[in-house]
Amino acid sequence: MLFFLGGGFMDLCQTRLQTTSAVFVLCLVILFPRVGLSQEDATQALRKQLGEIQNQLKSALDRIDQLEKEKSSSSARLGQVEKSVQAVQSAPSALNPSMGLVLDANVQKRGTAGGLFDFRSAEIGIAASIDPFARLYSFINGTKNGVEVDEAAAITTSLPYNLTVKGGRFLADFGRFPKYHEHELPFVNEPLSIDRMVGGETQADGAELYYLFPTPFFLRATFGAMNKIGEGNDRIDNTVLRSGSQFTYLGRLNTYFDLTDNHSIELGTSLAYTPSVRLAGNVSGGSRMLNGVDLTYRYQPLGSLVYQGLTWGSEFYANSERFPFDIEVPNEDDPSILETRTVGKRQQSYGGYSYVDFKLNKNWSTGFLLDYAPVIDNPSQRTLSYSPYVTWNISEFNRLRFQYSYLSNNFKADKADKGNQFFLQWTTVIGAHTHGFLTR
Amino acid sequence: MKMKLLRSKNWKVFFISLAFVWLQTGLVFAQQIRVVATWPALADITRQIGKELVNVDSLATGVEDPHGVPMKPSFVPRLNRADVLVLIGLEDEHSWLPALLDVANNPKILLGRPGYIDCSVGVPVLEAPTLVDRSEGDLHPRGNPHYLLDPVRAKVVAQNIATGLSRNFPQNQATFEKNLKAYTAELDSWIGRWEKMATPLRGVKFVEYHPEWIYLADRFGMKRVGSVELKPGIEPTPNHIVGLVQQIKEEKPQLLIYGAQNPRLPQQIASETGIKVVRLYSGGGNQPETDTYIKWIDYTVRTLVQSVS
Repeated sequence: MLFFLGGGFMDLCQTRLQTTSAVFVLCLVILFPRVGLSQEDATQALRKQLGEIQNQLKSALDRIDQLEKEKSSSSARLGQVEKSVQAVQSAPSALNPSMGLVLDANVQKRGTAGGLFDFRSAEIGIAASIDPFARLYSFINGTKNGVEVDEAAAITTSLPYNLTVKGGRFLADFGRFPKYHEHELPFVNEPLSIDRMVGGETQADGAELYYLFPTPFFLRATFGAMNKIGEGNDRIDNTVLRSGSQFTYLGRLNTYFDLTDNHSIELGTSLAYTPSVRLAGNVSGGSRMLNGVDLTYRYQPLGSLVYQGLTWGSEFYANSERFPFDIEVPNEDDPSILETRTVGKRQQSYGGYSYVDFKLNKNWSTGFLLDYAPVIDNPSQRTLSYSPYVTWNISEFNRLRFQYSYLSNNFKADKADKGNQFFLQWTTVIGAHTHGFLTR
Repeated sequence: MKMKLLRSKNWKVFFISLAFVWLQTGLVFAQQIRVVATWPALADITRQIGKELVNVDSLATGVEDPHGVPMKPSFVPRLNRADVLVLIGLEDEHSWLPALLDVANNPKILLGRPGYIDCSVGVPVLEAPTLVDRSEGDLHPRGNPHYLLDPVRAKVVAQNIATGLSRNFPQNQATFEKNLKAYTAELDSWIGRWEKMATPLRGVKFVEYHPEWIYLADRFGMKRVGSVELKPGIEPTPNHIVGLVQQIKEEKPQLLIYGAQNPRLPQQIASETGIKVVRLYSGGGNQPETDTYIKWIDYTVRTLVQSVS
């Protein structure tokens, strides 16, 4: 009974409560409409804020995900790198020097003499620190004529007073291009003036001392003593013992100025002096004085250096040397008879080259070389050559070059050494390979 | 007569004056730590750490191609006089700096010596190659060296510079650490601003000329879809350009970013695809808006945001 009574009573109470609540809210809305509206605004604002917080939370979660991903991938990469470094460090060859190989080959047609596939050189370069005080580098050159140590020299790294010493076999610091390996030149062949007057690359067995002046601008002096200068200089024997007057002594002064950020001038003057050169046969020798002046102008726009640029370089040489010379003199007993006698005759010769090289874009450059080369033992004979060329740098380590040369001689030259010459050169590098600052 | 001339009072005055000037020059230089940095951004961070204790000089100006800084002999005297050298590392400067160091006659700043401050130490490196072979282009065996474009990694750089300066000049360690703390706090505050500013960059696809922008892209959520170069440092072949144009048409990246490279190819690609081309330098310091590290990153982020807006 109570249950039924109770249930009906509860329903009645609930219905009345609902009705009362509805009436109360209606009254509130009628009596206080502003309160209702402001609550709605507040709700909207809260919803908006909640939405913004949700968005921010979402972007923060995204960022956390990204950072975690980045961290894990970085850790993985770091792990790989560390493993690789450990592997390298534990390898027995870890202290081996850096090595590289340069292949320099060309196909050529020379005058009316014909053509040739010319394997010019395969040069192995090796370099490493010896200890905290010196480093060693070497270039071993294989050519069609055999294998030769082109350079192998130790060079100090920690001498005081801005001094550096180099010793061994090296390309002596004479001039600019004479100390370049041939494949490093901007044209196919070494200028004939360098070949005839310096003796090709300035290969020398000896020692050099460099001094960097403590000036605000670049100024560097080189002093050297060597058996001889010039790889192709066969007038002096590289292997025999000699007196102090028969060594070659070298001096060079090199400076550089930035005219602006993009324009610069480099100037050098060199002297190689041999007090006494022994001449072949029973002929008295004499001193040899080889002078050189080099001037290089560079336009290197900093913002587009990889794509544009111009280099104009010139070198002039003067050689003064005695050469064996046959003369006819009357016989002492019978003056009516003329006999041939070899005497030493001093010859002064002057020569040089000038070239301009334009960088057209990252891959292509072109230029022109003008070369005046006297025959040093007979300076009235000379060769004048004109060589336009174009270079395609397929990459930094792979290069093709086409060069046309016209050789004009004022004497009867071999038919391979006159007239039209065509060269297509292919130069490639693998491994570590640099000839450093001197051949920049 | 000559001896008389040399003995004259004027000569003595001249030589004493010369010696005095020489000595004074040395004293002026000795007052500050002489720092040579390879790039302007590094020079600026060093100035922030060293303040008045350092005299910082940058070799590159900031407009150069990152791998095409000329090997100028005029850099040699600057390196010769430096107390410390601050560099990017990761073989970023390999084409020009080692040869200059060979002739600079300054053992203090050679590799492995205390004055050689390699800022890449401890920096989380991206794109460390799994195959170190030149068939992959002119790559950096230890990873992409353009980490300065990430301001978070720049805090590691600042730490490295402070550590390097303290190693060489321990008497000033407290000053360097104080300045580092202040600079790191300033960087943190800017990083917060850049994160907020760069919100529109999140998810933006881009093409770059050379792989220089990966650190910045990773920081701000951009996605690289291709490169103009065939491989790092290798100019594109015509076929590569055709493929890239097709890729841009399909994937619709919004930006093509290039810096010190020739504008010809980016403009050609833009004319064929309609992609927006943006020129930004990855070295900093080349114009008044980028003459400090913070201004450079701010300018870079701002320019990118404006480009996609």
